Amino acid sequence: MSSERPVVLDVRGVAKKYRMVAPGTELKTTLLRPFAAWRSRRQRANLWAVSDVSFQVPRGEFFSIIGANGSGKSTLLRLLAGLSKPTRGSIRVEGTISTLLELGSGFHPQVSGRENAVMNGLLVGMTRAEIEALLPRIIEFAGLQEFIDQPMRTYSSGMYVRLGFAIAAFLEPELLLVDEVLAVGDLRFQEKCYEHIAGLQQQGVTIVMVSHDLAAVQRFSDRAALMERGHIVAIGDPKKVVSLHVERLASSSPEIRAALEEHIAADQEGMDRLLAEDPEARAAFAAALELNPEFRRRMDEEAARQHGK
Amino acid sequence: MTAGPVSLPARELRSLRQSGELLAALTSRELRLRYQGSFFGWAWSLVRPLALGLILTFALGKVLGTGITAEFLLAGLFPWFWFQSSVQAAAATFVGNGGLLKKVRFPREVLPLSVVLGNTLQFLLALPVLVGFLLWDGYTPTRQWLALPLIFALQLALTTGLAFFVASVTVFFRDLEHIVEVLLNLVFYATPIIYSAGAVPPEYRWVIRLNPLAPLADGWRGILLENTWPGRDIWFSVALTALVVVVGWFTFRRLEDSFADVI
Repeated sequence: MSSERPVVLDVRGVAKKYRMVAPGTELKTTLLRPFAAWRSRRQRANLWAVSDVSFQVPRGEFFSIIGANGSGKSTLLRLLAGLSKPTRGSIRVEGTISTLLELGSGFHPQVSGRENAVMNGLLVGMTRAEIEALLPRIIEFAGLQEFIDQPMRTYSSGMYVRLGFAIAAFLEPELLLVDEVLAVGDLRFQEKCYEHIAGLQQQGVTIVMVSHDLAAVQRFSDRAALMERGHIVAIGDPKKVVSLHVERLASSSPEIRAALEEHIAADQEGMDRLLAEDPEARAAFAAALELNPEFRRRMDEEAARQHGK
Repeated sequence: MTAGPVSLPARELRSLRQSGELLAALTSRELRLRYQGSFFGWAWSLVRPLALGLILTFALGKVLGTGITAEFLLAGLFPWFWFQSSVQAAAATFVGNGGLLKKVRFPREVLPLSVVLGNTLQFLLALPVLVGFLLWDGYTPTRQWLALPLIFALQLALTTGLAFFVASVTVFFRDLEHIVEVLLNLVFYATPIIYSAGAVPPEYRWVIRLNPLAPLADGWRGILLENTWPGRDIWFSVALTALVVVVGWFTFRRLEDSFADVI
């Protein structure tokens, strides 16, 4: 991409290792059977949730990361947000980060929306005066004028998300990290959010989004990356990356394969719609890819036989 | 070029002020939530030391006939509950705020600090009640009372250091929260609160000597009731407090990066 734009996010050789929990390492076993505990501690497996990931994002780009469940994209976003440290490699970020990671988890149900908004702003590094200046716009965007002073336990889940998004998006970030949160709100609000994000992008804000919403990825991103088992396996034009993802999913899942052949054979747009609209299909995709390597082999055999005929 | 060195202090100043605002907001939220909806509100924080003080005055003073008085007990119990509830609440603070630690990047030290600050404010609000009781009982302020801020600062430092250590280690070793509860109970009896240090038989004096809280408990009581300055053993407490603060802070610094991975 354009080399004249400065790089805002520079990720080099990043890897994150988690240690699997080994059975028998709790205090009781450690005290009663120290040798067994020591042995099982030594033998516990490592899980590389993210491995050898490198990419650069220039200022003002909308960059999406897609992949099946468990492919490591949310872990990667957490590393980018600085919430956890990479085991290897380096992440360099220019400017302030605002994160949308699971909106509303910082909210306290017993206090009002207004107080939660102020607390959220303080937590991400704003001063009280800065937040209070932004509050009217946040409240208006979230459409919570009459509810903002009510305790948040009375809010619906949609209201939670709306307030969360409004806070994160109005904190004037230079780099906005978005994690799969817009799926919760209603369609009209989703549209409003995407519009707002596009507006931010025009002001030069860089956006990194993790999403299963493949239609949105194609529509809004400048570039996309596909993750599988912790690696980035493709990066580039969102349309190509999404269709590669869909292809690979379809080749590993009987349900999806069947659905494709029966109803919407080879129709790329229909396929996208299916994935975007039907969470069941998305789950089937993901599960099939994760659980069924044997099916992939059978599919390949099937394909080879048809080819031979 | 010239803006760099000039703007840096301003930025530091802003971030310091910002952290202060965050700390104040967290503390005030915690205090308000603790007594939300209860009629007597913060007065409940007085009930624990007062009730225990009255019971012990009766049980030790009247029933067992040790001659121990209410003012003797209360002057020990108020500072003790400040210490005990701070450390106990600190043990749960990172684990209890796991959701926040996993989702938002903010200076992690504000969590244990807000726990200690909240409990300290409660203690400071309770202190006038203790002093009022003493004045009513016929005690008068003397120039030794000038040493109160020093004892206060020393206990605050010890509590904060311990809070950082306990809060950080509990993330990796959850049993610590319960171990702390048991230990605090033991330390209560190993500190001259319901007895005076002088009454301890010589063969058990070492327990009191190794306990950094003992000179503090003695200090509070000496200043308030006996018009004496803190003794020389306070320096042992100062040294141990310095050690606890350093160990607590570096333990926290060492572990904080993995909080989000482990919780």
